[in-house]
Amino acid sequence: MSEQARIDRLAEALEGILADPRAPLPPADAELAELLSIAHDLRDLPRPTFRARLGADLLRRVTMTTAATATTAREGIRTVIPYLAVRPAAELIEFVTQAFGAQELLRTTGSAGGIHAEVRIGDSDVMIGGGGAWGGPPTPTGLHLYVPDADQVYRAALEAGAESLYAPVDQPYGDREAGVKDVAGNHWYIATHQAGGHVPPDLGTVTPFLHPRGAAELIDFMKQAFAAEELAIHREPEGRIAHAKIRVGGSVIEMGEAHDQWGPMPTMFYLYVDDVDAWYRRALAAGATSLEAPAPQPYGERRAAVRDAFDNQWYLATPMP
Amino acid sequence: MAPRAPAAEIPLGGDDERLLIEAAKTDPRRFAELYERNFNRVYAFVARRAGDRAEAEDLTADVFHEALANLGRFEWRGVPFAAWLLRIARNAVIDRWQRTTRERGEPAQDPGGDENLADVDRRAMLADLVGRLPGDQRRVVLERFVEQKSIREIARELGRTEGAVKQLQFRALENLRARMKDVHE
Repeated sequence: MSEQARIDRLAEALEGILADPRAPLPPADAELAELLSIAHDLRDLPRPTFRARLGADLLRRVTMTTAATATTAREGIRTVIPYLAVRPAAELIEFVTQAFGAQELLRTTGSAGGIHAEVRIGDSDVMIGGGGAWGGPPTPTGLHLYVPDADQVYRAALEAGAESLYAPVDQPYGDREAGVKDVAGNHWYIATHQAGGHVPPDLGTVTPFLHPRGAAELIDFMKQAFAAEELAIHREPEGRIAHAKIRVGGSVIEMGEAHDQWGPMPTMFYLYVDDVDAWYRRALAAGATSLEAPAPQPYGERRAAVRDAFDNQWYLATPMP
Repeated sequence: MAPRAPAAEIPLGGDDERLLIEAAKTDPRRFAELYERNFNRVYAFVARRAGDRAEAEDLTADVFHEALANLGRFEWRGVPFAAWLLRIARNAVIDRWQRTTRERGEPAQDPGGDENLADVDRRAMLADLVGRLPGDQRRVVLERFVEQKSIREIARELGRTEGAVKQLQFRALENLRARMKDVHE
């Protein structure tokens, strides 16, 4: 039988299997019968979105039950949350909800008259601010997003109004990956890890991804200012950093040296720390410029802010007793 | 680069697993790894015993929530963690069945059936392998078998001809057959 005939016979037999799951497998030669038996089992395949959602639910439950001990017991920097300050803040919240299934945790009015919102995508929190009376400079950036099915999420992102940066492709480092630019100018690298789970073991659902000019210097600054650690650094033969994973507290920031159309998109980070004043002094000593000296905020946090030499803004905060 | 083993190929009950369980007992966030390793097995077990997809998902969620809540009680005696999870799954299936039959006034029966664990493992492995198919093939498999979409609908979404989608469907199944054989040999 020609291959085309086999393709058609399989397609026809599958129509029957899918239409009536209880029907016995149709008669077929040994080779086709093996494919039909696999097809029969594929009807019990789980939905990738269900697997991801349940995984996130479990993690949330764990985080809630361990948060009380973790926040008091662990010292230093706990979490780094990317803060996307953009003019179309409401549209961006709508986009991440539609395209990535984000959950809106909080939406309020920020001190500068714009929206302040916190959303959760998978296991990761992202802050979104701006719009309204807010007139600050926007800080859209690059974000690495791991999902069960990059192709499907890429399509959903385009349907939700994103612009394609590149269509899904199997990357040499083993991820299926696509790129989109959202309504506010953020770049999302939508990926499915191809081994084990769909997220690599050392990353979460969302990881900020920077393309600075001078990645090695930025990493040095992060080490001095925020006690960052190198998890992985891949250099090109001439020594340029192609990809780095840098741990700050319990979070990871990825970066690669700026190249081609992937230029710097400096952004804002919100860091929860144990001692705002001490980390603020340490950041200044590492060469950062002060944006805000430590001060209590009306929403119950003590906060400071600095800017690094690459124009990233680092907000340091701790809840007040 | 060494070939990477899908989760279901990871040997059950090894030292690795024991260490992971001990780690998860002290830091419950490590439970995520146990979840990733065992999700397909638990789902494969309950899917054949549930009435439909929604019920299979509810049961799977019940199993992992219960396992997380009771992880401290799991005692390592060389019994694979998966066997413990499947015992929780079996009880969850029976509980649900008894509740349903009681509500309908029918006599309760044991829906557990024969515990053909080789069959569960095979279907879990198949789910792992689907996750490793080339993107286009994986997408056609998910759209066709999970979303139950027709060849025509998938062709429209992908912007391909129906013939091309049938070919992807064929290649995907051929690939899965070959990879299942590789795993077993």
